[in-house]
Amino acid sequence: MKGLTKNLVLVLAIALVLAACKQPTQQINEAQAVIDEIAKASADKYAAAEFKTLGDDMKAAQDEIAVQDKKFFKKFGTAKEMLAKVKTDAEALKAALPGKIEAAKNAAIAIQTEAKTAIDEAKALLEKAPKGKGTKKDIEALQADLAGAETAFAEIQTALDAKDYLGAADKAKSVKEKAVAVADQVKAAIEKKKK
Amino acid sequence: MKKRTRKGRVLLLGLVLLSYACKTPPAPSEAADAEALEQALWRAGASVFSPENYDLYKDGLKTAKENLAREKAKFGWFRNYDPIRSEFRDLLKKGTDLLQAIQNKKAIKSKALEEQSLSLKSRVERLKDMTLYFNESGAVRKNLSQAEIKLTQADLLIGKEQFEPVGDILQGCRLYVKQAEEAIASLLDRYLDKDQLEKWKRWADETIAESQKRAAVAILVNKLERKLILYRKGDVVASYDIGLGRFGLSDKLYSGDEATPEGRYQVIKKIPSSPFYKALLINYPNEEDKKAFALAKKNGQVPFQVGIGGSIEIHGGGKDSLTKGCVGLEDGDMDDVYRLAVVGTPVTIVGALSVENSILAEIKAFEKK
Repeated sequence: MKGLTKNLVLVLAIALVLAACKQPTQQINEAQAVIDEIAKASADKYAAAEFKTLGDDMKAAQDEIAVQDKKFFKKFGTAKEMLAKVKTDAEALKAALPGKIEAAKNAAIAIQTEAKTAIDEAKALLEKAPKGKGTKKDIEALQADLAGAETAFAEIQTALDAKDYLGAADKAKSVKEKAVAVADQVKAAIEKKKK
Repeated sequence: MKKRTRKGRVLLLGLVLLSYACKTPPAPSEAADAEALEQALWRAGASVFSPENYDLYKDGLKTAKENLAREKAKFGWFRNYDPIRSEFRDLLKKGTDLLQAIQNKKAIKSKALEEQSLSLKSRVERLKDMTLYFNESGAVRKNLSQAEIKLTQADLLIGKEQFEPVGDILQGCRLYVKQAEEAIASLLDRYLDKDQLEKWKRWADETIAESQKRAAVAILVNKLERKLILYRKGDVVASYDIGLGRFGLSDKLYSGDEATPEGRYQVIKKIPSSPFYKALLINYPNEEDKKAFALAKKNGQVPFQVGIGGSIEIHGGGKDSLTKGCVGLEDGDMDDVYRLAVVGTPVTIVGALSVENSILAEIKAFEKK
């Protein structure tokens, strides 16, 4: 009886040691799954620095596992802590990411609205611009310029629909700049006519 | 009592020695610098501009950190950070060089893209000037506007050092510019036709010869050069800048096409008070125009129920306003022309007289691109 108890204790001890030596595969998979999920949600675009840190931390945890794996007495405690932190940080970023994307979307929409306003203002100016001697040719050229800006304006929505909010913002800024330039030239043509 | 004091002194000395022996050197501050440099490399786009060297740096950093951790794990008396410090310093040197190399690469890339952008801008500007010169304010101008928007977008991205999408954006811009250039070139196709140019030259020579023979005034209009040249007794009396219609470079075919006719005409009426200051009415359409119109009508090139048109004049009102096919002059210049012209004065309108003029040279340059 005494012998049996001794053997049981020994088996239990070995099982505990073996369990402690096992790679934290589940934790790796869980942390990686969250990272993959936020990568698909364009975290590299809308939260680049945080996403980079996550990648670095995940790599450090994997390196730690690789180091321990080579040892006879493996200790994965540190790696587990690192993985737990990666998972927590990844989940935090996953929660924060929609807000960041929404902010980028709103910023793009705001510039799109500004571009539309600039186009409308230029159009209104063109409509009331006197198309007479000395200005008719300029005004007609500016009308064609504005038509180009209006066509390009449609591309902003295409980028927004494709969820390319940063690209949409850049397009909108460029369209706005052109529309403002047209409006300024119309004003100059009107001034020229007054003189 | 004396013995106890001595014991205390020995103990105190022992403690001092122990504390000195346990004192460990500080960990190298270069470790934090190397970490910060890794972040700087990432922000500089090392993974894009020099991925292999960046990976080498990261591997080096990892090894150095592991060595540092190993050294830290040692008992204080046995710690020696000097080799680790040296390892980090080497790494920092490599990283700093890499950062510099990346910045140089980026500067080269940025400059190359800026040059492409500037070259396109200059083409767009030249084309815009040409659209104004040719009164081409439709599709060509719209294309150029879209090209300009693409260029602004490219400049924004170059400024943010986001070079990857710039190539595609500039390519899109190039397409718009090319379309504009092709449209302008097609507008001027016939100006490069040798037979056409010879015909115009013959008309001009005959007009000048006639002016000489009759010792009279003759008017020659060169559409491409935008000039009206006044001859008397075969000699040039004056030359004036003119304005044409929206499609002034085309040969007039029918009413409302806003083209300026080409041919040999005469002044048939002097109008001292016209909506456009003063005017000289010419005998468009002549017999050749009527034949060309009939042929075009037969071939379905003329819209249904549209006539050949008429009332083509040389008038005042300014050279920069758009006419409907007439030749516009500044009022002061019109005074000169009006004074010298009489009913019957020959008016010859040609497209161009030479392929060597600057506009045609530009068009030829476009075609080579």
